Amino acid sequence: MTRWGMVIDLDKCTACQACSVACKTENNVPFGTQEQWAQERAPAWQRVLGVVESVNGKMQAHFYPRPCMHCENPPCVLVCPVQATYKDEEGIVQQDYQRCIGCRYCMAACPYGVRVFNWKRPSVEETHANYLNPAPLTRPRPVGVVEKCTFCVQRIQRAKAKAVAEERSLRDGDIVTACQQTCPASAIYFGDLEDSNSQVSQLARSRRAFRLLEELGTRPQVYYLSEG
Amino acid sequence: MRRSVQQRSSPLDGLTSFNPAYVGAVVVLLALVGMGAYFVVFRQWTQGLAVTGMNNRVSWGLEIVNFVYFVGLSAGGIIIAAMAHLLGMKEFKPIARFAELLAIACIILALFFILISVGRPDRLLNLFIHGNWTSPLVWDVTIITAYLALAMAMGYFGTRRDLVKCLETIPRRHRLYKLLTLGYTDTSEAALKRDDRILKVLSFVAIPSAVALHSLTAWILGLVKAKALWHSTLLAPLFVVSALVSGLALLIVALVVMRALKVEVRKDTVLKLGKLLLLLIPLLGYFLFAELFTVMYPGVPKEARLFADMMLGKFVVVFWFNLLVGLVAPIVILLYIWLAPARAPATAAVPKRSFAFQAGTLVIAALAIAAVAYSFQLGRTVTTAVVPGAFSLSIAGRAIGVNFAAAALLVLLATRLPVVAGVGLASALVVLGVLAERFNVVVVPFLFPFLPYPPAVYVPTVEEVLSVIGVYALGILGFLVLAKVFPLVEPGDHHAEGS
Repeated sequence: MTRWGMVIDLDKCTACQACSVACKTENNVPFGTQEQWAQERAPAWQRVLGVVESVNGKMQAHFYPRPCMHCENPPCVLVCPVQATYKDEEGIVQQDYQRCIGCRYCMAACPYGVRVFNWKRPSVEETHANYLNPAPLTRPRPVGVVEKCTFCVQRIQRAKAKAVAEERSLRDGDIVTACQQTCPASAIYFGDLEDSNSQVSQLARSRRAFRLLEELGTRPQVYYLSEG
Repeated sequence: MRRSVQQRSSPLDGLTSFNPAYVGAVVVLLALVGMGAYFVVFRQWTQGLAVTGMNNRVSWGLEIVNFVYFVGLSAGGIIIAAMAHLLGMKEFKPIARFAELLAIACIILALFFILISVGRPDRLLNLFIHGNWTSPLVWDVTIITAYLALAMAMGYFGTRRDLVKCLETIPRRHRLYKLLTLGYTDTSEAALKRDDRILKVLSFVAIPSAVALHSLTAWILGLVKAKALWHSTLLAPLFVVSALVSGLALLIVALVVMRALKVEVRKDTVLKLGKLLLLLIPLLGYFLFAELFTVMYPGVPKEARLFADMMLGKFVVVFWFNLLVGLVAPIVILLYIWLAPARAPATAAVPKRSFAFQAGTLVIAALAIAAVAYSFQLGRTVTTAVVPGAFSLSIAGRAIGVNFAAAALLVLLATRLPVVAGVGLASALVVLGVLAERFNVVVVPFLFPFLPYPPAVYVPTVEEVLSVIGVYALGILGFLVLAKVFPLVEPGDHHAEGS
C-alpha cells in the first residue's frame, strides 16, 4: 500500500511563493486578477500563509506553504452530498469536477480552507494561453465547481508509467510535485509515508515534525518541520 | 362569537371573482418574481456565482441563511395544525389548513433557496443518483422531502371536504378540483370521520418529524468541526426552538394580514397564538444566553473571539438588532398587551382617536423605521470596514444605542395600536430577529478561519438581495393563487360550533 505524503521544512522556506506559481502553471490554475485576490476569490491550490506577530516588542513573521492536507480523516469527503470528493486508494483526496454540484459544503467543512470555487468561468491570461499543461488530468475546470490540490496526481501517474516502461518498481524520489521541483530552498519533500525508509517518513518522525490543527483529528498527510 | 358584518368586502373573497386589488397585487408580485428570475438565470447561472458577495472564505451567504430560515419557518404551521387536530383545540381548528399551507409554502421556498445557491443547478439530480449517506445535507434533503409529503397529506385531508364542495359548485373548474381531490370525493359522515382519524395519525407523526427536521438542518452546520460556534451540542435544540418561535411568529403575522384583508380570522385565535409566542420567546433567549455564557465565562479562545466580534465588533448591529428588537421588544409588547387592559382599558377599545393621537402614532412609526434604517446603514459600514478583532467603541455604542432606541420606539408604537395589530407587530419583529440570528449563526463563523488567511468580508450584492426577494415574492404569489382555489381559512364557525 502507498500513502502519499508531504513534508515542508519551515526552516528552509523563504516564503518566496515560487511553489504557488509553479502549482498554477502545472495545474492550469488561472493566476487571478488583483480584484479577485482582494475579494478572496482567486483560485490557488498552493498558497503561502503568513502570520506577523509581536514577540517581546519585536516583530516576527512566520510563513508556511499550504497545499491540501490530504487528511486521513477528511471532513470534506464525509460531507460531500454527491460523493464528488473521495479518498483514492493511495490516500489522495480527489475531486470529481464532472459530478460536483457546487454546493460548497466541503469548503465550509475544511478546517484548512484549501478548497476554491470557480466563481466565474476560469480564464487564462493571454500571455499564458500557449503554455497550458496538456496533461489530461489538468484540463481547466468548469464554472461552478470546487477544485483543489491533487498532489500533482498527473506526475504520480507519469512516474508510475515510466517505472513500468523501465521494468522496475517505483523508487523513493521518483515523484516530484510541481511545488517541490520549483522550491529554490528545497524545503518540500514528497513520498510514500507507508514506506518507513522513505525520506518523508523519516522526516515525519523527526522531533521537529508537526501537523496543522492536529487537535481536530483530521490527521493530515502534510507534515511541517518547525523553525529553529 | 361576534361575526363581523363587513367581511364581504375582502379582496380575497369569492373563488371565481378577481377584483382590481387582487389583480394589482398579482401583477406586482409577478414583476418581483420575474426580476428575481432574471438575476438568477441571466446573471448567476450565466456568469457564475461571482455576482454574489460570497468568496472562498465565506462560501455560504444569504441563500443558505434563507434556506435554514425557511426550513425553520415551516415549524409554526405544522405544530399549530398538529395541535389543532390532536388536541382538538377549537380556536386553532379554522386556521389549521392555513397553517399547513404556510408550512408547505415555507418548505418549497427553502428548496428554491437551495436551487439558487448551488453552482451547478443542472447537476442537482446527482443528489439522488450519487447521494452520499454520510453527508448531513443528504439526510436533510431526505427529511425535507418526507416532511413536505407529510405536510401535503395533512393539507389534503384537511381541505378535501371543501374541495368536494367546490367541485359541486364551480363546474367550470371541474378538472382542477377532480385532480386536487385525487378522485376521492366521498363526503359521507363515515368518510369525514376517517379523514379526521387519518389527520390525527399524521399529526402524531408530524411532531417528532418536526424535531428531526430542525435538528438535521442544524446538523448541516453542527457536525462541522471546522467552524467555531457551529460545532456545539446546543445547536440542534437551539434550531428546534428558533424554528418554533419564528414559525409561530410568521403564522401570527400571516393571520393578522389576512384579518386586515377582511378574511375571517377570529381575534381570540390571534391572541391565543400571541400568548403561546410570549411563552416561547424567553426560551429562545435562554438558549442563546446559555451558548454565549458557556463560551465567554471560561473564554474558549476561538469562540470567544467570534462572540466578541459579534457583540462589539463587525456584527454589532446584527447581534443587537436580534437581541433588542427581535427578542426584548416583542416580549415587552406582548406582556404589555396582557397586562395593560386591567390598568388601561383605553387601549382595548377607543371608539375614535383624535387627529393628534394618530399623527403621534405615525411619527413614532416613522422614527422607529428611521432608527432601524440607520442601524442597517451602520451595519453596512462596519461589515465592510472594520477588520475582525478591531473594535470601534464609538460605532459599537452607536449601534447598541440606535437599536435600543428602535426597540423602545416600537414598544411605544405597539401601545398605541389595536391589540391584534400589536400582536402582529411583536410577531413581525420576532420574524426579523430570527433572520438576524440565522445570519449570525450561518455567516459569521466563516469570517474566523482557523488558519491565518487575510481578513475576508461578506456583503451581499444587489443581485443577491433581489433574487432572494424574488423567491419571497414567489411564496406570497403562491398564496394569492391558492386563495382562489379554495377558502384559505375554513369558514370555521359552521362546523366548529354551528352544526
